Amino acid sequence: MLPEPGYGMQPESRQLTVDLATMSTTEPAAAATYQTAGADDDAVEVNDVDPASETPEQRRARFERDAMQYVDQLYSAAMRMARNPSDAEDLVQEAYTKAFSAFHQYKPGTNLKAWLYRILTNTYINLYRKRQREPLQSNSDTIEDWQLAKAESHTSAGLRSAETEALDHLPDSDVKNALQSIPEEFRLAVYFADVEGYAYKQISEIMNTPIGTVMSRLHRGRKMLRDMLADYAAERGFRAQTDDQAAAGSNNQEKEK
Amino acid sequence: MSDCQGLGDCDDTRMQRIYEYLDGALTREDLTEIKRHLDTCGECAEQYDLECLIRTMVKRSCTESAPENLKNSILDRIHAIKPVEA
Repeated sequence: MLPEPGYGMQPESRQLTVDLATMSTTEPAAAATYQTAGADDDAVEVNDVDPASETPEQRRARFERDAMQYVDQLYSAAMRMARNPSDAEDLVQEAYTKAFSAFHQYKPGTNLKAWLYRILTNTYINLYRKRQREPLQSNSDTIEDWQLAKAESHTSAGLRSAETEALDHLPDSDVKNALQSIPEEFRLAVYFADVEGYAYKQISEIMNTPIGTVMSRLHRGRKMLRDMLADYAAERGFRAQTDDQAAAGSNNQEKEK
Repeated sequence: MSDCQGLGDCDDTRMQRIYEYLDGALTREDLTEIKRHLDTCGECAEQYDLECLIRTMVKRSCTESAPENLKNSILDRIHAIKPVEA
């Protein structure tokens, strides 16, 4: 069963109001910023649909027209949840099937992609995590602890611009592996923020967690990710170079290429 | 540990401010203040650049195309579902 399948995502405009009210540091002047950060390229679906009066055929057509355009995005997110492409495909298929069955409960004019992401996330929890009706919660406290300890043993300022340079050379596979190696609730928060550019409030609705939790997951997740990437860069020999290592280091980098 | 305290008195606070800046979760006033700080503080600007880069890397490497057949499989499944009355 889908928890609250009919829960409509807030429309962008109302979303804004909720965000502003919830986050004490925010004021109406920031509205423009919010929209660029959160609304991104989400297509605004046609508003003048009345799900109550449309025929099943019309609804099916509307689903195919409006929802099917997000298959790639949902697949990308599913790849961050499932362990392999085949599981990710199953997950997306299952999520779409559920979304279609619940589509009469989707409120036209609200953010459809975010609604689909929420169903995907729920499907993942129910199908693969077998922890029904629980929000994504960490059972990884122990993992988290050692990873955090590790993350905090580096100072935030530990990475220098030479390492910025080094990170830039990392192949996509390293970035995916690094992301995959951090606990999933952190991973998904980072994914929704960095890839989709969703606002904290939207992520909190998709993941069914309070905004404060989203913010701390992002903070910790990014810290872990950054450390992990620094490790990958070091393994590949893309080290931050001190002056006397510079010559030798650049030779290594040439070899890596 | 950072020497700059322009965005807060510890690294955690500073990074949180940078994340909020990056995520567009700040008031216009705070935005202006942080932008001004980043323009003048090399140390914080470096942190910001690095976070921007990581964000770009994540976005680039996690943007995937679904397998060709996936869309059709979904459509097949949807067409097999009996319509639900609203």
